[in-house]
Amino acid sequence: MAQHTLTLKKTLLASAMAATLAGTAFVSTAAQAENTLRMAYDADPVSLDIHEQLSGGILQLSHMTHDPLVRWNDALEFEPRLASDWEQVNDTTMRMSLREGVKFHSGNTFTADDVVWTIERLKRSPDFKAIFDPIENVTAVDDHTVEITTKKPYPLLLNLATYVFPMDSAYYSGEAEDGDSKDEIVKNGNSFASRNVSGTGPYTVANRQQGVRTEFERNPNYWDTESPGNVDTIVLKPISENATRVAALLSGDVDFIAPVPPNDLERVRESEDAKLVTMSGTRIIFFHMNQDRVEAFKDPRVRQAFAYAVNQEAIADRLMKGFATPAAQFSPKGYAGHVESLELRHDLERAQTLMAEAGYADGFDITMMAPNNRYVNDAKIAQAVAAMLARINVDVDLSTLPKAQYWGEYDDRAADMMLIGWHADTEDSANFHEYLTACVDLDTGAGQYNAGNYCNPALDELVAEANVEVDRDKRAAMLQEVEQTLYDEAAILPLHWQDLAWASANHVNIEPVVNVMNFPYLGDLVMDAK
Amino acid sequence: MIAFLVKRLFHALLVMFVISIIAFAIQDNLGDPIQQMVGQSVPESERAELREELGLNDPFLVQYARFAINAAQFDFGYSYVFNQPTTEVIARHLPATLELVAAATFLIITLSVPIGVYSAIKPRAWLSRFFMGISIVGISIPVFLTAIMLIQLFAIGVSWTPFPVDTAWGSWLNDLISTEGGMPAYGRGNPVPVFGTWETNFASLEGLTYLVLPAVSLASIMLPLFIRLIRAEMLEVMQSDYVKFARAKGISMRRIYFLHALKNTMLPVITVGGVQIGTLVAYTILTETVFQWPGMGLMFLDAIERSDIPLIVTYLMIVGLIFVITNTIVDLIYGLVNPTVKLTGKPA
Amino acid sequence: MNAPSSALPSRWERFRDSYLLYSFKRDIVAQISLMVFIALVAVAVLAPWLSPMNPYDLAQIDILSSELPPFWVDGSDAEYLLGTDAQGRDMLSTILYGARVSLMIGFGAVALQALIGVCFGLLAGYLGGRIDAFLMRLADIQLSFSTLMVAIIVGALVKAIFGGETFSAYAVPLLILIIGLAEWPQYARTVRASVLAEKNKEYVDAARVMGLRSKRIMFRHILPNTLSPIFVISTVQIANAIISEAALSFLGLGMPETHPSLGSLIKAGFDYIQSGSWWITLIPGAVLIVLVLSINLLGDWLRDVMNPRLYKG
Repeated sequence: MAQHTLTLKKTLLASAMAATLAGTAFVSTAAQAENTLRMAYDADPVSLDIHEQLSGGILQLSHMTHDPLVRWNDALEFEPRLASDWEQVNDTTMRMSLREGVKFHSGNTFTADDVVWTIERLKRSPDFKAIFDPIENVTAVDDHTVEITTKKPYPLLLNLATYVFPMDSAYYSGEAEDGDSKDEIVKNGNSFASRNVSGTGPYTVANRQQGVRTEFERNPNYWDTESPGNVDTIVLKPISENATRVAALLSGDVDFIAPVPPNDLERVRESEDAKLVTMSGTRIIFFHMNQDRVEAFKDPRVRQAFAYAVNQEAIADRLMKGFATPAAQFSPKGYAGHVESLELRHDLERAQTLMAEAGYADGFDITMMAPNNRYVNDAKIAQAVAAMLARINVDVDLSTLPKAQYWGEYDDRAADMMLIGWHADTEDSANFHEYLTACVDLDTGAGQYNAGNYCNPALDELVAEANVEVDRDKRAAMLQEVEQTLYDEAAILPLHWQDLAWASANHVNIEPVVNVMNFPYLGDLVMDAK
Repeated sequence: MIAFLVKRLFHALLVMFVISIIAFAIQDNLGDPIQQMVGQSVPESERAELREELGLNDPFLVQYARFAINAAQFDFGYSYVFNQPTTEVIARHLPATLELVAAATFLIITLSVPIGVYSAIKPRAWLSRFFMGISIVGISIPVFLTAIMLIQLFAIGVSWTPFPVDTAWGSWLNDLISTEGGMPAYGRGNPVPVFGTWETNFASLEGLTYLVLPAVSLASIMLPLFIRLIRAEMLEVMQSDYVKFARAKGISMRRIYFLHALKNTMLPVITVGGVQIGTLVAYTILTETVFQWPGMGLMFLDAIERSDIPLIVTYLMIVGLIFVITNTIVDLIYGLVNPTVKLTGKPA
Repeated sequence: MNAPSSALPSRWERFRDSYLLYSFKRDIVAQISLMVFIALVAVAVLAPWLSPMNPYDLAQIDILSSELPPFWVDGSDAEYLLGTDAQGRDMLSTILYGARVSLMIGFGAVALQALIGVCFGLLAGYLGGRIDAFLMRLADIQLSFSTLMVAIIVGALVKAIFGGETFSAYAVPLLILIIGLAEWPQYARTVRASVLAEKNKEYVDAARVMGLRSKRIMFRHILPNTLSPIFVISTVQIANAIISEAALSFLGLGMPETHPSLGSLIKAGFDYIQSGSWWITLIPGAVLIVLVLSINLLGDWLRDVMNPRLYKG
């Protein structure tokens, strides 16, 4: 409320001043001022090729220069974009109608062929091919209809469609000056697609100096004429240093920043010049307890004791300054597998009793590893957990590493407890289990990040069934059963979902365009006159 | 003379060779760059392919030969993080560091010369003692602490209320010792582009305010050294027969101090100053870390954190080159001006 | 002066009558510095017995009492005199233990520097020739890169090679090694200069004529005569080593936060300065400054006393 009043006062003052000025000296030209949004992210996209890397930065870019077939709305439901309608033809086939009259930045017309071309290219991309693997083939029925066939019944096809940002197939065909094919995907290389972009999106790339600034301009022929967006130019600057990014916003150098570091939340919230928007996120931060390395972890009572020993609320409140939602399971609210009834279990006495029951009243020694620059406050969280475990006589030898070294150690399962954060690329609960708690199988890649070596074949089967169950309710019930079991057996030690935060100048209305996936729909952004 | 020159240049080359070996040897031992480049769910087979493609699996000597040949042409490869030639990345970060060093040097020179000269002329004056006392305190405060204290005082602000707040004199005194804060203490703000990638903080008042705290911090550590050095040299020169003779000739004291004595003081000061360039570079790393000043020092630390091997190697090579060049020049100047250095370079 | 009771003055009597003690008695700054320094060393050494809690014992830490301010600020808790850090650790205890780590590394590194530097300096000065040229050139190069720069680069490389985990486990010996290796040239140069001055004196010639081995001459005859300059630079070097360690830790290349030195305490606290918890960084900072300052002031005084040439001009 206080903020609103202040904003109002300012606006009044500004208009009063403007009126005075206009009345005395100036003849107002009444020209509509250009709306320029100056924004700062922690990093800029590594490439303009949206298939080069599967990362937040690239997806944020994709939503600016391209449009997906469908996208998530606030309630985590699907909103039609380039696909205007869809129907399940049979268990393995879906037919999608595509929007007509859409043009690419190059002027080419968007057709079903572009969708086919894009999905085929995704299946070649090293980063995307794994998640597009369920798709058998895509065919253009006519200019504005495609049919997507999956190898097996696949309930997450629409989730996948949020990753399909049709590219301008004609534009990317043929050879570039250097003789390479224009559509090749080169990791960290200098391909045609990494320098040139033609999508259907609300913005075109006007100028780009990697790592310095990227300038976007509003696509004058944007198909979505109902979009309220009124931003003409966006200047994106990467400011990797947290405090610098905040300072830039507060000093008025930029109008919009993300992410906002927890230590500066208060500063932004209290500022009269900026506003803060936070949202409970979907990235779960948790510890694996390695059963192969520590015999004691094979005993569910010990794992439960750990779960009871940790005070998630204290971490969220003290270390994260309220910038996290304490978690007792993988799936955040809104996900199919989320079980409302699972509660935090902090209870030190119970933890001590369980340890005693398991025969470890005197505790034991373990090693713990965490990155120190990957997640918000990661190293501090690990320290706090180590301190909490000391209460049940578990002596923790903690080391924290920069992420560049951490993932190597993670792949080697180098410590008894390892911290990791996970965001399901598919926004779906099954993804958590497949990567994090499924029985490790090197051939299929199941349990690739399961550094706890937890293995419950019954759950694997349940998830496999869920993955071919097209009925959403039935599927949700299965996934909830998985979460419940993981909770009961204390398969992992969940801590919290890291919140998301954005901050902007008062005249930039970011609330309606930000979302839990952290891909702000900047095409719909409205800026008020200052 | 020629022999001396050749010998010094040979030394310089030798040092560069050693640096290149050290710089290169790091490559095998720093974290895995692949982890930085791909998403979390990319399978191992793709990673192995990429590793092969980048030549990370070649034997040490093959990689070194490739490195040395390219390095000689100032080609150090592409930064893994920025996906640009490392020399370009460094060129982009260089102006920030140079401007910081320039501003600090300006402060050091304009302050150390008058203070040093004054405390040499009047060694017993209370002001001289004060300066000497301050300078030893200055030497004892690590540069990052000076920086942190400056941030607390002038960026965040401190309100002290040791005097009663409800009296006029009390609140006046409280205000007097409290600081308001508000000075920019992070980054460079919006530097003005000059040409190419060079953006400057000197062209606008706003830019200068961003420069103040970092430059003062950086200067604070070198200033005491130079004050003490100038003072000591000046004291020595003042005792020399040459000055005594000038004085006997009846030349005015002011002229003796600032023309004759100072001139003779400057040579050793400049040579020492040249050698101190290395120390200054080290301190820029610390200063830039505290103020998140986007220069080469910050870039170097980031590169270490991110295992951006080509960038680390390039930084070491370029900083090494800067050191070797300045030292060689200082050596040559010193050798030319000071006849007591044996130009043949043979040990006595 | 008192008349000596025996024919030869005892060590204590010689010391009592020395110029060193005389000037110390007249120099109030030196006296205060020495007192402060001794006090700091004492509390650091006695940290396990003096500090209210053991900051390494995680079971004593409660995150719910994190970020409490020191006693003179509103909202403080009497249990924590100097407040607590972000994990709920008692600042007073953490600082005492931190000072202990800093001093340990400082002294250790100087001992190592002195060992390397004195050996190289003796060798270079006494043997001369190629060895001298090589060692001194090495020292020149290293000094031209600045000791701190060498320490930062070596620190970064060692950390990268051993990996963060191993580095943290062996941080104390590794830091001693890094700082020791980075700063030996100061000693080598000083010792070499003294040796060159001593070398041609008659007692050395006499020893050589007597057929004593070089090693014996160097260590038993020349070294004792070079001790006073070594002593003088040692004070400065300890201050430098403590600062270097703090700088490395501040850059994240030194002591881990779980086993902090003063430098890593300052680094850990720096994250919180913007949110108002200044004490987590500034109190350890103040302790570091006082420690280094007291050593530097002592060093200054020693240099004046033992090397009066500067003041005579």
